[in-house]
Amino acid sequence: MTDPTVAEPWVAGPLTRLKEDARLLSGVLLYPSGRAVGQFGFANAADVMSICALTSAINASARELGRQLDGKPFYEMHHAGAERQVFMARATAGAQEFLFVGVFDRESSFGVVEIYFAEFQKALERLHPEKQTPGVGPSGDFEGELNRSLDALFGPIGKH
Amino acid sequence: MRAFAQVVVKLSHVPGVVAAMIVGATDGLIVETSPVASSTASATDPRKHTAALAAYLYSKVIRASDAARLGTPAFMRLEAESGHIFVVGAGDVVLVTIVTTDANLGRVRLEMMTAARDKS
Repeated sequence: MTDPTVAEPWVAGPLTRLKEDARLLSGVLLYPSGRAVGQFGFANAADVMSICALTSAINASARELGRQLDGKPFYEMHHAGAERQVFMARATAGAQEFLFVGVFDRESSFGVVEIYFAEFQKALERLHPEKQTPGVGPSGDFEGELNRSLDALFGPIGKH
Repeated sequence: MRAFAQVVVKLSHVPGVVAAMIVGATDGLIVETSPVASSTASATDPRKHTAALAAYLYSKVIRASDAARLGTPAFMRLEAESGHIFVVGAGDVVLVTIVTTDANLGRVRLEMMTAARDKS
Protein backbone atom coordinates (compact mmCIF):
# COMPACT_ATOMS: atom_id res chain seq x y z
CA MET A 1 0.00 0.00 0.00
CA THR A 2 1.17 3.50 -0.78
CA ASP A 3 1.54 6.23 1.81
CA PRO A 4 -1.14 8.88 1.71
CA THR A 5 -0.70 11.77 -0.69
CA VAL A 6 -1.99 14.99 0.81
CA ALA A 7 -2.81 18.54 -0.21
CA GLU A 8 -2.44 19.65 3.41
CA PRO A 9 0.55 18.14 5.25
CA TRP A 10 -1.03 18.08 8.73
CA VAL A 11 -3.50 15.34 7.69
CA ALA A 12 -0.75 12.91 6.58
CA GLY A 13 -0.11 11.50 10.08
CA PRO A 14 -3.74 10.86 11.02
CA LEU A 15 -4.50 9.39 7.57
CA THR A 16 -1.52 7.01 7.76
CA ARG A 17 -2.56 5.87 11.23
CA LEU A 18 -6.18 5.35 10.16
CA LYS A 19 -5.13 3.39 7.09
CA GLU A 20 -2.86 1.08 9.10
CA ASP A 21 -4.95 0.64 12.24
CA ALA A 22 -8.28 0.11 10.47
CA ARG A 23 -6.64 -1.89 7.66
CA LEU A 24 -8.32 0.17 4.98
CA LEU A 25 -7.65 -0.59 1.33
CA SER A 26 -8.24 2.95 0.19
CA GLY A 27 -9.62 6.22 1.48
CA VAL A 28 -10.17 9.88 0.66
CA LEU A 29 -10.48 12.83 3.00
CA LEU A 30 -12.24 15.78 1.45
CA TYR A 31 -14.11 18.97 2.19
CA PRO A 32 -17.90 18.78 1.84
CA SER A 33 -17.51 20.95 -1.28
CA GLY A 34 -15.77 17.98 -2.97
CA ARG A 35 -12.23 19.30 -2.73
CA ALA A 36 -9.76 16.51 -1.87
CA VAL A 37 -7.47 16.95 1.15
CA GLY A 38 -5.69 13.60 1.15
CA GLN A 39 -5.96 10.07 -0.20
CA PHE A 40 -4.40 6.64 -0.11
CA GLY A 41 -4.88 3.54 -2.24
CA PHE A 42 -5.54 5.34 -5.52
CA ALA A 43 -3.07 5.65 -8.36
CA ASN A 44 -4.84 8.12 -10.61
CA ALA A 45 -6.60 11.42 -10.26
CA ALA A 46 -9.69 10.41 -12.23
CA ASP A 47 -10.71 7.85 -9.58
CA VAL A 48 -10.29 10.36 -6.78
CA MET A 49 -12.20 12.96 -8.79
CA SER A 50 -15.17 10.58 -9.17
CA ILE A 51 -15.08 9.61 -5.50
CA CYS A 52 -14.96 13.22 -4.32
CA ALA A 53 -17.89 14.20 -6.51
CA LEU A 54 -19.95 11.17 -5.49
CA THR A 55 -19.12 11.47 -1.78
CA SER A 56 -20.02 15.13 -1.78
CA ALA A 57 -23.34 14.37 -3.46
CA ILE A 58 -24.09 11.36 -1.22
CA ASN A 59 -23.33 13.43 1.87
CA ALA A 60 -25.70 16.19 0.76
CA SER A 61 -28.43 13.64 -0.01
CA ALA A 62 -27.93 11.75 3.26
CA ARG A 63 -28.11 14.94 5.29
CA GLU A 64 -31.35 15.98 3.66
CA LEU A 65 -32.77 12.46 3.98
CA GLY A 66 -31.88 12.46 7.68
CA ARG A 67 -33.51 15.84 8.19
CA GLN A 68 -36.72 14.66 6.56
CA LEU A 69 -36.87 11.24 8.22
CA ASP A 70 -35.32 11.85 11.61
CA GLY A 71 -35.28 15.61 12.05
CA LYS A 72 -31.47 15.67 12.01
CA PRO A 73 -28.84 14.97 9.34
CA PHE A 74 -27.35 11.49 8.82
CA TYR A 75 -23.60 11.79 9.16
CA GLU A 76 -22.39 8.21 8.80
CA MET A 77 -23.00 5.58 6.16
CA HIS A 78 -21.90 1.97 5.82
CA HIS A 79 -22.47 -0.24 2.82
CA ALA A 80 -21.49 -3.89 3.06
CA GLY A 81 -20.83 -5.39 -0.35
CA ALA A 82 -20.11 -9.03 -1.05
CA GLU A 83 -16.35 -8.57 -0.97
CA ARG A 84 -15.70 -4.97 -0.03
CA GLN A 85 -17.37 -2.49 2.28
CA VAL A 86 -17.63 1.28 2.18
CA PHE A 87 -17.59 3.52 5.22
CA MET A 88 -18.43 7.20 4.89
CA ALA A 89 -18.54 9.71 7.72
CA ARG A 90 -18.19 13.32 8.71
CA ALA A 91 -15.26 14.57 10.76
CA THR A 92 -14.83 18.00 12.26
CA ALA A 93 -11.77 19.97 13.34
CA GLY A 94 -12.63 23.23 14.97
CA ALA A 95 -15.24 24.89 12.81
CA GLN A 96 -14.02 23.04 9.73
CA GLU A 97 -15.92 20.06 8.44
CA PHE A 98 -14.46 17.13 6.47
CA LEU A 99 -15.84 14.02 4.85
CA PHE A 100 -14.04 10.71 4.82
CA VAL A 101 -14.76 7.71 2.66
CA GLY A 102 -12.87 4.44 3.12
CA VAL A 103 -12.97 0.96 1.63
CA PHE A 104 -12.17 -2.25 3.52
CA ASP A 105 -12.56 -5.98 3.09
CA ARG A 106 -12.65 -9.03 5.37
CA GLU A 107 -9.27 -8.09 6.79
CA SER A 108 -11.10 -5.48 8.83
CA SER A 109 -14.62 -4.96 10.16
CA PHE A 110 -17.11 -2.14 10.51
CA GLY A 111 -16.62 -2.11 14.29
CA VAL A 112 -12.85 -1.78 13.96
CA VAL A 113 -13.16 0.98 11.34
CA GLU A 114 -15.59 2.90 13.57
CA ILE A 115 -13.21 2.73 16.52
CA TYR A 116 -10.20 3.98 14.60
CA PHE A 117 -12.22 6.60 12.78
CA ALA A 118 -13.15 8.04 16.20
CA GLU A 119 -9.41 8.26 16.98
CA PHE A 120 -8.78 9.83 13.58
CA GLN A 121 -11.43 12.43 14.34
CA LYS A 122 -9.72 13.27 17.65
CA ALA A 123 -6.35 13.57 15.88
CA LEU A 124 -7.81 16.00 13.32
CA GLU A 125 -9.28 18.04 16.12
CA ARG A 126 -5.91 18.13 17.91
CA LEU A 127 -3.70 18.84 14.89
CA HIS A 128 -5.90 21.19 12.91
CA PRO A 129 -3.99 24.44 12.36
CA GLU A 130 -5.55 27.51 13.95
CA LYS A 131 -5.29 29.45 10.72
CA GLN A 132 -7.96 28.34 8.27
CA THR A 133 -6.88 27.26 4.83
CA PRO A 134 -7.98 29.94 2.35
CA GLY A 135 -10.70 29.00 -0.06
CA VAL A 136 -11.97 26.03 1.94
CA GLY A 137 -15.63 26.99 1.64
CA PRO A 138 -17.54 26.49 -1.58
CA SER A 139 -16.55 29.16 -4.09
CA GLY A 140 -19.01 28.20 -6.79
CA ASP A 141 -16.17 26.92 -8.94
CA PHE A 142 -16.62 23.25 -8.08
CA GLU A 143 -14.70 21.90 -11.06
CA GLY A 144 -11.81 24.34 -10.61
CA GLU A 145 -11.48 23.56 -6.91
CA LEU A 146 -11.60 19.83 -7.54
CA ASN A 147 -8.92 20.05 -10.22
CA ARG A 148 -6.64 22.18 -8.05
CA SER A 149 -6.88 19.72 -5.16
CA LEU A 150 -6.19 16.78 -7.50
CA ASP A 151 -3.17 18.61 -8.89
CA ALA A 152 -1.91 18.91 -5.33
CA LEU A 153 -2.33 15.15 -4.78
CA PHE A 154 -1.13 13.74 -8.10
CA GLY A 155 0.65 16.61 -9.84
CA PRO A 156 -0.73 18.63 -12.75
CA ILE A 157 -2.29 16.42 -15.42
CA GLY A 158 -0.21 16.26 -18.60
CA LYS A 159 2.90 17.66 -16.90
CA HIS A 160 4.43 14.35 -15.67
CA MET B 1 -33.42 -10.95 20.96
CA ARG B 2 -34.77 -12.14 24.29
CA ALA B 3 -32.56 -15.22 24.11
CA PHE B 4 -29.52 -12.96 23.59
CA ALA B 5 -30.50 -10.83 26.58
CA GLN B 6 -30.86 -13.95 28.75
CA VAL B 7 -27.41 -15.21 27.77
CA VAL B 8 -25.83 -11.86 28.63
CA VAL B 9 -27.65 -11.62 31.99
CA LYS B 10 -26.63 -15.16 32.92
CA LEU B 11 -22.97 -14.63 32.03
CA SER B 12 -22.80 -11.26 33.78
CA HIS B 13 -23.95 -12.88 37.02
CA VAL B 14 -20.97 -15.23 37.12
CA PRO B 15 -18.59 -13.89 39.82
CA GLY B 16 -15.67 -11.98 38.33
CA VAL B 17 -17.36 -11.14 35.03
CA VAL B 18 -17.01 -7.38 34.50
CA ALA B 19 -19.04 -7.30 31.29
CA ALA B 20 -20.63 -9.87 28.99
CA MET B 21 -21.43 -9.15 25.38
CA ILE B 22 -22.81 -10.77 22.26
CA VAL B 23 -21.02 -9.35 19.24
CA GLY B 24 -21.47 -9.73 15.49
CA ALA B 25 -18.74 -12.08 14.27
CA THR B 26 -18.10 -10.25 11.02
CA ASP B 27 -18.85 -6.61 11.85
CA GLY B 28 -17.69 -6.52 15.48
CA LEU B 29 -20.75 -4.56 16.57
CA ILE B 30 -22.46 -5.21 19.90
CA VAL B 31 -25.73 -7.12 19.60
CA GLU B 32 -26.43 -7.34 23.33
CA THR B 33 -24.42 -6.31 26.36
CA SER B 34 -24.56 -6.25 30.11
CA PRO B 35 -23.72 -3.08 32.01
CA VAL B 36 -20.11 -2.79 33.17
CA ALA B 37 -19.84 -4.04 36.77
CA SER B 38 -19.93 -0.88 38.92
CA SER B 39 -16.88 -1.70 41.06
CA THR B 40 -14.63 -1.62 38.00
CA ALA B 41 -16.42 1.02 35.97
CA SER B 42 -14.22 3.93 34.89
CA ALA B 43 -14.71 7.13 32.93
CA THR B 44 -14.30 5.29 29.64
CA ASP B 45 -16.63 2.47 28.71
CA PRO B 46 -14.46 -0.41 27.44
CA ARG B 47 -17.26 -2.41 25.84
CA LYS B 48 -17.43 -1.02 22.29
CA HIS B 49 -13.68 -1.18 21.74
CA THR B 50 -13.34 -4.58 23.39
CA ALA B 51 -16.22 -6.00 21.38
CA ALA B 52 -14.87 -4.84 18.00
CA LEU B 53 -11.27 -5.82 18.67
CA ALA B 54 -12.11 -9.16 20.32
CA ALA B 55 -14.29 -10.17 17.37
CA TYR B 56 -11.53 -9.08 15.00
CA LEU B 57 -8.91 -11.02 16.97
CA TYR B 58 -11.13 -14.09 17.07
CA SER B 59 -11.47 -14.00 13.27
CA LYS B 60 -7.66 -14.08 13.06
CA VAL B 61 -7.51 -16.94 15.56
CA ILE B 62 -9.89 -18.92 13.34
CA ARG B 63 -7.50 -18.40 10.42
CA ALA B 64 -4.46 -19.33 12.49
CA SER B 65 -6.16 -22.45 13.75
CA ASP B 66 -7.19 -23.36 10.22
CA ALA B 67 -3.66 -22.74 8.92
CA ALA B 68 -2.31 -25.06 11.62
CA ARG B 69 -4.93 -27.65 10.60
CA LEU B 70 -6.45 -27.64 14.06
CA GLY B 71 -10.03 -27.00 12.99
CA THR B 72 -12.38 -24.45 14.50
CA PRO B 73 -11.16 -22.91 17.75
CA ALA B 74 -13.43 -23.74 20.67
CA PHE B 75 -12.38 -21.04 23.08
CA MET B 76 -10.04 -18.03 23.19
CA ARG B 77 -8.56 -16.61 26.38
CA LEU B 78 -6.47 -13.47 26.42
CA GLU B 79 -4.59 -13.05 29.67
CA ALA B 80 -3.58 -9.51 30.57
CA GLU B 81 -2.09 -7.76 33.61
CA SER B 82 -5.40 -6.85 35.20
CA GLY B 83 -7.76 -9.48 33.87
CA HIS B 84 -8.84 -11.65 30.99
CA ILE B 85 -10.90 -11.48 27.84
CA PHE B 86 -12.74 -14.65 26.90
CA VAL B 87 -14.22 -15.24 23.45
CA VAL B 88 -16.33 -18.12 22.18
CA GLY B 89 -17.75 -18.40 18.66
CA ALA B 90 -21.45 -19.19 18.25
CA GLY B 91 -22.33 -19.08 14.56
CA ASP B 92 -22.91 -15.51 13.38
CA VAL B 93 -21.99 -14.04 16.75
CA VAL B 94 -19.23 -14.35 19.33
CA LEU B 95 -19.66 -14.25 23.09
CA VAL B 96 -17.18 -11.93 24.77
CA THR B 97 -16.56 -11.49 28.48
CA ILE B 98 -14.20 -9.20 30.35
CA VAL B 99 -13.14 -11.02 33.50
CA THR B 100 -11.17 -10.07 36.62
CA THR B 101 -7.98 -11.92 37.61
CA ASP B 102 -9.57 -13.45 40.71
CA ALA B 103 -12.57 -14.91 38.87
CA ASN B 104 -13.23 -18.63 38.70
CA LEU B 105 -11.99 -18.99 35.12
CA GLY B 106 -13.18 -22.58 34.83
CA ARG B 107 -16.72 -21.58 35.67
CA VAL B 108 -16.73 -18.62 33.29
CA ARG B 109 -15.42 -20.86 30.53
CA LEU B 110 -18.04 -23.53 31.23
CA GLU B 111 -20.89 -21.01 31.26
CA MET B 112 -19.70 -19.49 27.99
CA MET B 113 -19.26 -22.84 26.27
CA THR B 114 -22.74 -23.91 27.40
CA ALA B 115 -24.27 -20.61 26.20
CA ALA B 116 -22.50 -20.93 22.85
CA ARG B 117 -23.68 -24.51 22.41
CA ASP B 118 -27.28 -23.57 23.24
CA LYS B 119 -27.12 -20.61 20.84
CA SER B 120 -25.74 -22.62 17.91
